[in-house]
Amino acid sequence: MKSLVDLPVRPAPTAPADHLTLRRGAARVLIDNWTGASTVPSRTLYPHQWSWDSAFVAIGLRHLSVRRAQRELESLLAGQWADGRVPHIVFNPALPHDAYFPSPDFWQSSRAGRTAGAPSAPETSGIVQPPVHALAAWLVHRADPEESRRRGFLARVRPRLAAWHDYLLTRRDLGGGGLAAVVHPWEPGMDNSPCWDSALERVEPAPPHAFRRADLTHGHPADRPTDLDYGRYVRLATDYRAAGYDDRGLAHRFALEDPCFNALLVVSELALAAIARELGATGEPHTARAARLTRRMVARLWDEDTGLFRARDLHTDTLVDERSVSGLIPLVVPHLPQDVVRRLHTALDGPHFDAPATRLVPSYDLTGHAFDPTRYWRGPAWFNTAWLIQRGLRTHGLQESAERLKDGFLTAAGRSGFAEYVDPCTGAARGTRQFSWTAALTLDLLCADPKEPMP
Amino acid sequence: MLKTAVQEQLLPGDTLQAKWDFAQQSGYDAIELRGKGDLHFASRLDELKQAAKDGVVMPTVCVDMLHFLGAFDEDLRRDAVAQMKSQLTVIAEIGGVGAQTPASYGMFSRRLPPFEPPRTEEEDREVLLAGLTELGEHARKEGVTLFLEPLNRYEDHMVNRLDQAADLIRATGLDSIRIGIDSYHMNIEETDPAAAILAHADVIGHAQVSDSNRFQPGAGHLDWPAWLGALHTIGYDGHLALECRLTGDPVEAVRSVPGFLKRSGA
Repeated sequence: MKSLVDLPVRPAPTAPADHLTLRRGAARVLIDNWTGASTVPSRTLYPHQWSWDSAFVAIGLRHLSVRRAQRELESLLAGQWADGRVPHIVFNPALPHDAYFPSPDFWQSSRAGRTAGAPSAPETSGIVQPPVHALAAWLVHRADPEESRRRGFLARVRPRLAAWHDYLLTRRDLGGGGLAAVVHPWEPGMDNSPCWDSALERVEPAPPHAFRRADLTHGHPADRPTDLDYGRYVRLATDYRAAGYDDRGLAHRFALEDPCFNALLVVSELALAAIARELGATGEPHTARAARLTRRMVARLWDEDTGLFRARDLHTDTLVDERSVSGLIPLVVPHLPQDVVRRLHTALDGPHFDAPATRLVPSYDLTGHAFDPTRYWRGPAWFNTAWLIQRGLRTHGLQESAERLKDGFLTAAGRSGFAEYVDPCTGAARGTRQFSWTAALTLDLLCADPKEPMP
Repeated sequence: MLKTAVQEQLLPGDTLQAKWDFAQQSGYDAIELRGKGDLHFASRLDELKQAAKDGVVMPTVCVDMLHFLGAFDEDLRRDAVAQMKSQLTVIAEIGGVGAQTPASYGMFSRRLPPFEPPRTEEEDREVLLAGLTELGEHARKEGVTLFLEPLNRYEDHMVNRLDQAADLIRATGLDSIRIGIDSYHMNIEETDPAAAILAHADVIGHAQVSDSNRFQPGAGHLDWPAWLGALHTIGYDGHLALECRLTGDPVEAVRSVPGFLKRSGA
């Protein structure tokens, strides 16, 4: 048995005196990574605009410049397709094509996606990411309602956000159960999570010579997905592209209902209800839709045995037998059954997610067969998921746990230089540094009214 | 919280003491003085000393003349340098921190006819470096700082952006010269004003504020939270000195600024 001294010690929480340094550091990252109309997640690794990154960035940017926060979301939504999808990347046309893979000439959105409604410009990817945007828009509005009204911010983004949700709940209801499905491991945002492994085995990888990865130029191979995984990602994307990105015309080989993705859709529906009310319309249809989504999420994705939400593989119509942080994110949903909240709260402090070296929540089961403390979404602890869980804990009145997680978040953000993610076993920074959403959500935790309600 | 100052001519009252009462009531932390030519500023020494004794906070002076250290005319240039030296001495004597000047104002614009100035860029640089070095050394001797203010392209043809001012300052090797930034000029000249503040943080010494239309902050459309957020980020601890024209009731306009800046993140 390990003695107490052998156990890694979690770093002490940052003192309030450090908060000024932290705030300045976070603002510096956001100013450095601003490109004029949006924020790059990282100047080196991710040089374009990413969908859920922009939403998280806007949530922090609202404390630095409400106008920039609004622009962040507006510029992302300018890449929206006519079918309602908000693409996961909006490419910066000023950069060479080899700045990132898959590049614009891989996705070929303006040609291959024309029928599905891709814009002629800008070039975008053809897949999506979790719908955090309506939540972000509402929080940005709340930061300065007067400026928001003056610029007509909500009135302009509301129809786009509504179309985005409609897309997810019609074209993407692939399981027929009223939830949105993801069709590529990049869509739930947790690219190489072990949750996708079994589904990916059905996918024949594209040969290595068919693509050249750009993520390894700036990222360490041990921190990134493997080549085999990458081959499968490429195959799924090329199949989707060949079908013109038409969800109706393609039997997706990869189709799952993800708890985090759908939980964010619930919260964003509630945000749309608040946005509608602010604009003098009724929020009722969105509130009702959020309630329906919540019921379906519990019915289809809650696993009583593990006390977690789990992804549903639509090919086998079974829950994926893995524990992931995605299964804890539904805590952000306000109207969950009490018992579900209690079990999720318990799981956070249990052996699967209570990390030795950080209060952040590991992306995957610490005791799981595929756990890898350094590889992207197969174990490392991320800041956006911690921010969501922290908000969820507050939503359910679990203030003490929320406060602990917030302290742990701020400590890890400061120590890691606003890292992309941290090793949950050592607390060491991993991935890129000066990562935009880490800085943005740090700023939000430092500046937002702790009593700010979820929509 | 960033400190605010207001230029003396914007304040109601016949004396600095009366102006200071109004400034304090409106929420300002200091008064920025204006330094006229013909050694007028030096002639005010007794008045300034008495005001300082009465508790008026006057950290800076901004030059108020029509010729400057970058003048084409050698006599005017020599006079501008002499005037600035005197202003640096006086501001030191009353316990202030520095004096602000542009390279020139209203002398030439490359955007207006005849488009080509009578001096080459190399000659401009030589003249500016000579003047700055002389003034910087004088400032150092007096224990104060010379603030070089970049102006927009229609008001000066030599120093429009922070990077140009920073380059000249670094070339002199003097830490007694810093940039005096101005939100109005930065809005016209900088690609990203907030990023420019971060990029030149080590040489920024003073800040003046007015909105996009040269009126008081709040009357235009500058992104104040981003600009002020950048100053917070670099740990700027000087004043935000109000130098602007006023729109609306002038007294109310001046009174509105500290509250507006505070609400915008100052």
